[in-house]
Amino acid sequence: MLITEKHKQAAEIIAAHIINNRKDRMIIAISGESGSGKSELAHAIAKILRKEGIFAKPLHTDNYYKTHPLERREWRLRHGIENVVGYDEYDWEKINQNLDDFRNGRRSEMPCVDLVTEQVDRLITNFGEVDMLLVEGLYAIKSDNVDLRVFIELTYLETKEKHTKDARGKEIMDEARWATLGQEHKMVQALKPRADLLVTKEYAVAKAAIS
Amino acid sequence: MLHDLITITPQHESSAKMVFDKVLELRNGNPRGKMIITISGEVGSGKSTISIVLGRLLTNQGIRAKIIDLDDFYKIPPLERRAWREKHGLQSIGYEEYDWKKVYQNISHFLQNKVCSMPCVDLITNHVDELITDYKGVDLLIINGLYSLKIKEADLKVFIEQSYDKTIEYQHYSLKEKLDSYRLKVLQREHEVVNSLKGLADFFIDFESSLYHL
Repeated sequence: MLITEKHKQAAEIIAAHIINNRKDRMIIAISGESGSGKSELAHAIAKILRKEGIFAKPLHTDNYYKTHPLERREWRLRHGIENVVGYDEYDWEKINQNLDDFRNGRRSEMPCVDLVTEQVDRLITNFGEVDMLLVEGLYAIKSDNVDLRVFIELTYLETKEKHTKDARGKEIMDEARWATLGQEHKMVQALKPRADLLVTKEYAVAKAAIS
Repeated sequence: MLHDLITITPQHESSAKMVFDKVLELRNGNPRGKMIITISGEVGSGKSTISIVLGRLLTNQGIRAKIIDLDDFYKIPPLERRAWREKHGLQSIGYEEYDWKKVYQNISHFLQNKVCSMPCVDLITNHVDELITDYKGVDLLIINGLYSLKIKEADLKVFIEQSYDKTIEYQHYSLKEKLDSYRLKVLQREHEVVNSLKGLADFFIDFESSLYHL
């Protein structure tokens, strides 16, 4: 994850929008394809809000895959990438439970993938001390329990070079990985009409046209 | 530690590789399997980044390494720490600030392949969450932190050399904490304590000069 000036500039605008439209125990969702900068944007927004005295916690939906990180690829190949890659790979029941816990300021337990061991740890957090939640992930804006939806328009084809290596710098691009990104692309783009704010390919922020 | 931002440089990679080679060498002579490595050094010396690069090198070899960061184990949570330190004086800064009971509970649960809980600081909110992990199947525990050299049980104790000037320089670039006169006193005190422990290390990395090996 590398936060650059463009993330910070977009984050400033979005943070100002959030503050102007502030709600009690607000949930903001950010969606976009792999490599579009969702985590960077969520991180940058949370940092700005913190300076304003607002405790905003990022929540990454990638922690909620129903299949284990080490078995996912194999599982997808076995069932057919075009059949299974999409929303239903996430444990929405668990995500909605955690969102509901946040709304009610409860203590909550959530999955948390350790990116070194690739094990799924459990994280317990006290939402009572958190003011806002920034849910970030491919399909995060699909959730109905969200106050503001941000969509990043960059597609995987425009961030191609980012996908040629995995988190450990190992070359991983093969047909299956491209097919996965292509399927994710379809599923993510289908959610775009739900967005309130759009982040363009140049990382400018625009209000979505009222449909 | 949640939401830490790391930037991996070639120096981190070459330093991690040196530790990695040493770990493989030790594993060959140690069929017991489970090993503990501590990584110490001053603030900004690259402890956590080197731990992550090392962890990934090991994972690629099929050796599962769990990283624990002693910054998560302070008895006084981040949002209250400065006020606590100001009240108790600079002498209160040091390894007694860690909750060693929790650190050792993790070490023993790791050795016994058990499920264990640990504190986990969210670096955005500065709140302390609780992380529950299963040490079953974890081969190696990498413990990084200012005073990790105090852990006698470690099979390898790494110290990353860094001049005090560099520590101060890093603070100017780091967005983590504001550098004011009090913070400078804290850094000076931590520098003294860390250096008093340096003799306990058995593997030294000169981070700055490793640049020249590349």
